[in-house]
Amino acid sequence: MKTPRPLGSVPLAPVPPVAGQTLDAQLHLLDRQVLDSGGVPVTTVDDLELGAPEGEPETPMGTVIPPGTPAPVLTALLTGPVLGTRIFGGRPPSSRLIRIPWTDVASVGVVVQLGVSGQGLDADWVERWVRDKIIARIPGGRRDPR
Amino acid sequence: MKRLLGVALGILTAIGGFVDIGDLVTNAVVGSRFGLSLIWVVVVGVVGICVFANMSGRVAAASGRATFEVIRERLGPRAGLANLSASFLINLMTVTAEIGGIALALQLASSVNYLLWIPLAAVAVWLVIWRVKFSIMENVTGLLGLTLIVFAVALFLLKPDWGNLASQAIPAVPAEETGATYWYFAIALFGAAMTPYEVFFFSSGAVEEGWKIKDLIQSRINVLVGFPLGGLLSVAIAGCAAVVLLPAGISVTSLSQVILPVAEGAGKLGLAVVLLGIVAATFGAALETTLSSGYTLAQFFGWSWGKFRAPAQAARFHLAMIICLLVGLGVLATGVDPVLVTEYSVVFSAVALPLTYLPILIVANDPQYMGQHVNGRGVNVVAMVYLVVILVASLAAIPLMIVTGAGA
Repeated sequence: MKTPRPLGSVPLAPVPPVAGQTLDAQLHLLDRQVLDSGGVPVTTVDDLELGAPEGEPETPMGTVIPPGTPAPVLTALLTGPVLGTRIFGGRPPSSRLIRIPWTDVASVGVVVQLGVSGQGLDADWVERWVRDKIIARIPGGRRDPR
Repeated sequence: MKRLLGVALGILTAIGGFVDIGDLVTNAVVGSRFGLSLIWVVVVGVVGICVFANMSGRVAAASGRATFEVIRERLGPRAGLANLSASFLINLMTVTAEIGGIALALQLASSVNYLLWIPLAAVAVWLVIWRVKFSIMENVTGLLGLTLIVFAVALFLLKPDWGNLASQAIPAVPAEETGATYWYFAIALFGAAMTPYEVFFFSSGAVEEGWKIKDLIQSRINVLVGFPLGGLLSVAIAGCAAVVLLPAGISVTSLSQVILPVAEGAGKLGLAVVLLGIVAATFGAALETTLSSGYTLAQFFGWSWGKFRAPAQAARFHLAMIICLLVGLGVLATGVDPVLVTEYSVVFSAVALPLTYLPILIVANDPQYMGQHVNGRGVNVVAMVYLVVILVASLAAIPLMIVTGAGA
């Protein structure tokens, strides 16, 4: 997440004042539990994806960002294999990232609350697979204990 | 009236649920070798678990977040994963020990080899986790575990010389033991009283039962009254061993020696009761540790978890627990002595304690999670003292294990 500033470069312009809640990616987003609209846990925020704001061209990976480029925006919460690379280093190819679009996020508190059901999300596919192939097939697997 | 009953039930299950195979074995071993000279450790451990369980219960009630969610978030993925690996493996070891404990107790009751009881015990544990409601599971095993009071009854029936017994309670290294073994068993006893799984289970249980801030008073009473009384049971186990086994020169290496003093003091009836108690206590603890293994994994990775959901609604959580039980079965099938597994598991529990204790302490002071329910100054002073105790015990455990040859 951190980008060290090369020696001798011009200090960054101060952050412009923004309306609303300020979120610290490290403190408020990464490793937080994600709940769907029904309060069911979906995953943990394993990493974040940044992109160019809407209507702006993406800056290709590995190129110097020209001055005056609009600040990137948060586009998605990431999960899946990206956890492994975050722990052990490296970066999975973009096609392997499992994304939860930032537009699905309803609120951020001690948990990240989504405004959509987890049932349709890619992030929940392993849970659905284990449920349909294993757990639901054991007698009593669908019985509500309460 | 209903509230009063709830409090009484909570206290009783806290007492009955306090003792597990680790407490049974370690207290008997210590009693048979050191008399009551290590009893002060039980007191230190019980106060510690009260402070710790109270904090994690409060975090769970105030924020709705269970222990391992908090650990992952505060430590980040790398340190979190290291923590998960250590906590999970030690918990798995405890699952194995508890299932072995059920089987050993059933062997004593039936004379059928414990290896034949092990698959049955594991399946029974799984069935209860699969079908039985959380509160019923907790209350039934807790209440049946209360029968372990027979250790206290037996101690009275043995008519020991109370003055002599009391004079043993002064911390001192017995002549035939070395200082290193004394401190090694002090750490084992501390680890048995303060096992980390109790905290995973306690905080996740608070979420399972949907605790709110207003329920905290009741949980505090359960902990502050129930755990110390449970600690008294531990002392009675050690006391029985000190009265019968220490003079006879028997050092405990099997479960039959743990219950020998009860048979001598309280006869056949006492023996029947103590076997029921041990089965209930180890069964209850097997449920708690198996659930804890599911809780820790699910909370780290953000899976859906909890017994309040149908298994299909928490599929990976249930699959993880099934796998853990199978692994435990596999380990026991090699014929490894469950009592030995227990002795190691309590020491490793002490090693792993700071890993869970520190993140909880940090979050219990974080107003973002806790609002106005952050730790008070008094709690923090006690908590910091315990942080030092826990760190020292954790760092000293492995070197002492090597020096003493695991207390031999």
